[in-house]
Amino acid sequence: MKMRLFALTVLVSLLLVACGGAKTPAPAASAPAEITMMMWGDPAELDVWNQIVADFHQATPNISVKVEVSDWDSYWTKLKTLLSAGTPPDVFAMDAPLYLDYQSRGVLLNLQPYLDKNPDMLKGVYPQTLEAYKTADGMYGLPRDFQTIVLFYNKDMFDEAKVAYPSGDWTYDDLRTASKSLTKIGSDGKVTQFGFYSDLWDMELIWSEAIWAYGGDIINADHTKTLIGEPQAREAWQLFHEMMFVDKSWPDSTTAGEYGGDPFLAGVAAMTTIGHWAVPGYAEAGFKWDVAPMPKGPAGQTTSVNSAGFVVGKASKNPDAAFEFLKYVLSEPAQKRLAELGFACPVLTTVAESDAFLKQPTPIDQKIFIDSLAFAHMKPVFKGYDEWSSAIGDGMATIWTGEAELGPTLDAAVTAADEVLAKNK
Amino acid sequence: MEYGLKPLGREKLWLLALLMPTLIGLLFGALGSVIATVVLSFAKWDLLTPPTWAGTINYVSLVTDQKVLLSLTNTLKFTALYVPGVVVISLLVAVLMNRKIRGVSLFRTAYFLPAVTSAVATALVWNMIYGKDTGLLNFILERLGIPAVCWLCTDTAMYSVVAVNIWGAIGEGMIIFLAGLTAIPREYYDAADIDGANGVQQFFRLTVPLITPSIFFQGLMSTINAFQAFDYIYMLTRRGQGDSSIPVVVFSIYRNGWYFFNYGGASAQAIMLTVVVAVFMALAFWLERRYVVYE
Repeated sequence: MKMRLFALTVLVSLLLVACGGAKTPAPAASAPAEITMMMWGDPAELDVWNQIVADFHQATPNISVKVEVSDWDSYWTKLKTLLSAGTPPDVFAMDAPLYLDYQSRGVLLNLQPYLDKNPDMLKGVYPQTLEAYKTADGMYGLPRDFQTIVLFYNKDMFDEAKVAYPSGDWTYDDLRTASKSLTKIGSDGKVTQFGFYSDLWDMELIWSEAIWAYGGDIINADHTKTLIGEPQAREAWQLFHEMMFVDKSWPDSTTAGEYGGDPFLAGVAAMTTIGHWAVPGYAEAGFKWDVAPMPKGPAGQTTSVNSAGFVVGKASKNPDAAFEFLKYVLSEPAQKRLAELGFACPVLTTVAESDAFLKQPTPIDQKIFIDSLAFAHMKPVFKGYDEWSSAIGDGMATIWTGEAELGPTLDAAVTAADEVLAKNK
Repeated sequence: MEYGLKPLGREKLWLLALLMPTLIGLLFGALGSVIATVVLSFAKWDLLTPPTWAGTINYVSLVTDQKVLLSLTNTLKFTALYVPGVVVISLLVAVLMNRKIRGVSLFRTAYFLPAVTSAVATALVWNMIYGKDTGLLNFILERLGIPAVCWLCTDTAMYSVVAVNIWGAIGEGMIIFLAGLTAIPREYYDAADIDGANGVQQFFRLTVPLITPSIFFQGLMSTINAFQAFDYIYMLTRRGQGDSSIPVVVFSIYRNGWYFFNYGGASAQAIMLTVVVAVFMALAFWLERRYVVYE
């Protein structure tokens, strides 16, 4: 009998333990407020953000911010889980192309009422970086930094081949010619040095820029039709395809994978197109390099601009404090810290055009990134972006491994992408 | 199948009490999620807005969506190659490791190492081995005068990836089979020697029938692992946004749920995977009743 009673006690206490986890203590409602901030990034970024948060706390002592950083993939998984549980972080990072997927589902706080009360707040911010966050009833997010895509080139390889460095007047034909001269093919037919490499899965690194430069477009204005199979866009695809499989100056995706996915960093490709986030990594590459503007096409010079920003969860219990923090992120001291971090371009003109950004330890022409804004197109932002871009990236992947033909595979990818658009309408 | 001791009287209560922590975990954790998955598979849910009833549409798209069908085909193909591979090779390795060889523990450790090494790290090394122009394997092939092979291109990637997965699973299989082998009484082999049976005959007539429980167990575990295989496949064949050149069902579930805001569709695919695994399990237990011999 005694034993039975003991067993019962064990059972009951186990049940209590199992159910106990459900309750969480109610947050303290009164000031000082503590808000949580979540973002993707690497340890170097966490250090800088902890610094920014400490500065903010010093300037605004009644608000403290808890920063949580994850890598890109786990960030989105974690964020979606927290949002669906109704307990999102107060402030969280947003990538502009994915913004509408969240905004349209009503999980973000409309910041417009706050912005209306602070009319001067966005005065010094590059307008191109704000564009992505505008909706019919106001802004639900604010940019913190931006990325323009520029041409990176390995000076050592150019010097060795006695080819002139890329200039702002280069066309895509110049790029192709130079790439050819910089390519080295061994006696066994194997390429030991490539003239150019860029990743073709996502549009941001090269193909959106080239399609725009050739006079084409990515998607129509109401996001119902994919335009990358139109004749002008095809000229851009054709150029990539010939560089890869005729000139052999651009490694196919399988070969690029052997060099860790970045043959430029590996020192086997003379040029690449990428954003400022690559600068800290390339700074340790062990060769001399610099940057130049993107080449021109028949329809002019273009690049892509994409801004990362912050949004506030609609379920946030401290929206006022959260907005105070966003306001601080756009202030000069915070933007200066971000500039020194060197992963992106500050959105505040006074900081971007100051020594804090232009005179960074990596001796490259930082101004190119800022000047490129003048001819930059915004990376498209619409609901269902991830699935749409996957339909294209997956659909065209076999072209870039050299297994499928360009024309019919492109047609099939466009059809698949249009189906995604119809489904997510 | 009568073996082991049966709990009696008061012991039964203890049995229940000691199992309770696990059972409660299963009840609230696993069972709860299973029920939630079943319910969600009939819903349209993007994780952010409340789910809405979708009827059987998620199940209809299982058979109409080309991508889902492709992933199911890949999973079945993978399983068909992987399970026999693991069972046969790890059994052979275990038989070798069961002999009295000098430094056998060193060999055993070597075979077990992949099981305790990070899959991500070893996959990076395999990437170097499989490289088209710079890879070790093609280097050897070319020295032998054989043309280079694109090991990770779409039509060969399946075999290359299965090979790596088998390589990674030999260690665990070997342990299972070694346990089975050491349990076979030495006298049986002595008797077979006297009867004049050679090594091959002894292996097929004596060893294999006596370790059918281990073969059954290992086959079952390998099948479950095959349906859940992810890390090596991902590391060797990944493309952007969680895609792979040989997408298996686990990829499809992950992408639909976490990238495409299609939790309902992902749930239906998870149910499909569960049903397929259940069918395989039923088949395995049927085979067990027929062929497995317990001492």
